[in-house]
Amino acid sequence: MIGFKNAIHKLPVPCFVENAAQVEQLIFTPSCQGNLAVYLHKPEVKAAKKVGIVANIATLRSVLQLVSENQLGDIEKTVLTVNAQNELLMFDNMDALEQYVQANFPVISDEDKKLLDQVNAMTRAERWQFWTEQFSACVKCYACRAVCPMCYCSTCTVESNQPQWIKVSSETTGNLEWHTMRAMHLAGRCINCGECGRICPVGIPVHLLTAKMNQDIEAEFGAKTGFSFKSGYALNTFKPGDKEQFIK
Amino acid sequence: MEIKNIKLANLPAFFDQLIKSGKVVMAPVLKKSGKVFFEAVKSYDQMATDYIQTGFSAKSVVFPKVEELFSFEKNDDGIEISNNLSNIPETVVWGLRPCDSSAFNYLTEFFLRENPDTYFATRKEKTTLIAISCSKADEACFCTSVELNPGSTEGSDMLLTTMGDDVYVEVMTEKGQAAIESSASLFTSREEKSKEEYLAKLTAVFSMEQIKERIKTAYDNAEWKHESMGCFGCGACAFSCPTCTCFDIQDEGTQNKGKRLRCWDACGFGQFTKHASGHNPRHNQTERRRQRLMHKFKYSVENLGIVSCVGCGRCIRVCPAHLNIFENILSVTK
Repeated sequence: MIGFKNAIHKLPVPCFVENAAQVEQLIFTPSCQGNLAVYLHKPEVKAAKKVGIVANIATLRSVLQLVSENQLGDIEKTVLTVNAQNELLMFDNMDALEQYVQANFPVISDEDKKLLDQVNAMTRAERWQFWTEQFSACVKCYACRAVCPMCYCSTCTVESNQPQWIKVSSETTGNLEWHTMRAMHLAGRCINCGECGRICPVGIPVHLLTAKMNQDIEAEFGAKTGFSFKSGYALNTFKPGDKEQFIK
Repeated sequence: MEIKNIKLANLPAFFDQLIKSGKVVMAPVLKKSGKVFFEAVKSYDQMATDYIQTGFSAKSVVFPKVEELFSFEKNDDGIEISNNLSNIPETVVWGLRPCDSSAFNYLTEFFLRENPDTYFATRKEKTTLIAISCSKADEACFCTSVELNPGSTEGSDMLLTTMGDDVYVEVMTEKGQAAIESSASLFTSREEKSKEEYLAKLTAVFSMEQIKERIKTAYDNAEWKHESMGCFGCGACAFSCPTCTCFDIQDEGTQNKGKRLRCWDACGFGQFTKHASGHNPRHNQTERRRQRLMHKFKYSVENLGIVSCVGCGRCIRVCPAHLNIFENILSVTK
């Protein structure tokens, strides 16, 4: 069972319960904001075959998205959450989970909306300047990738050295390449949990890139991420009704 | 050591004098993100006024995230090889915390024992550390547990402690002495005084002697797995750590022109120990996290006689999973 427990310092830490005696450690409070779905890819978790996960709305959506991408097929999953009425809910079938998520689908936070509007309002040159400045501070610790439940490739492009697509050293252009590549890979797959931006040690609002991609994909294809476990994701699904105005 | 006094109101004048002397002055700056980082500044008022700790340590002054070791270019006469050693500027780090300056002692041991590293040696030689005592600490700070304290002078060239309208100045080295020379009129002599009442109060969470003894047999402790399960395998802790020194050598360019770089690396990365054969001796995150903690509290003690954790708390503050090094180390040495 993957959940949260209290720690000496202020924020809850992930907790992995392996027997009934340890269950009492588990907590679920509004400060349990991390997206635990990322642990569903951990080899130790996959090996368990039967997994429970304590989920906030972002984690619930991640589970749906991962199922739709055929990533959790061989794990028997039980998903726990607490609803707005403070009731404990338990899902072991995806239809029920999907219904709950669709009925409680979150909207983008005011803070992120404001930031996105600011970036959208920039001219191309201003936007380039903004991101260049932001990414000049990136140290390539890859925490953004590490916390992302949708970054589950067993070998990331940045780890390939034959050929080496993106430099290992951290400098502005290479950093931009890395973040652009990651954003493209997450287009229409990012569930907007915002973890990558929240945890960036240098404070780059990197989640805005994928949030923007999602805005575009929703506008073009009407597809929402982490909304259904059956729909796949927009960029690898063909529907005869897809708009094609972008092909000129 | 020499004790001096400077009026708090005169600190900007001293600071400006350092800048005027042509040195690069790195100081804590509050960024738009709300985080504080060391940055080259041009005036005293650019500095952050209220910070417990900077996001990253000052180690990048002597061990940058990317160090160009040399560059080469093929031309008609053969191959020309050059390096940037002569361009390394005289630098003052202002406002680092005592934990960070003590980390420089470890860095120096690491880079200069046996085969001294020219790049580190040159940068270190040109760097003056002006530390500021801590009057505040947060829940991630634990310097007193690793036998340092919020007013420790370890590793710094000069330590400043604000006492009301005065600043108590401990000049520790010749470099410290040189730094105040051009502002000599601002400094007066004063008697030694206990700094205790001006320092943050921080109770030790563990006894270092006990940890050093117990960690000798901790390698096979089952708690490593439990404590490491949450680790995502990113490099945030290592990159923000003032004593993490691992690096990766990269060549960039073409066969005609290029450079060799030394880049920060992190033992938490899955590829860190991966062999060319495909075999990875540290094949899971438990082994990697154990390596990180054992290095800080056991291996560096065995190899260099220094505990290479200074209790700055950065790894706790930046960890995306909020893992806590002192909780972890206590748990595996119970």
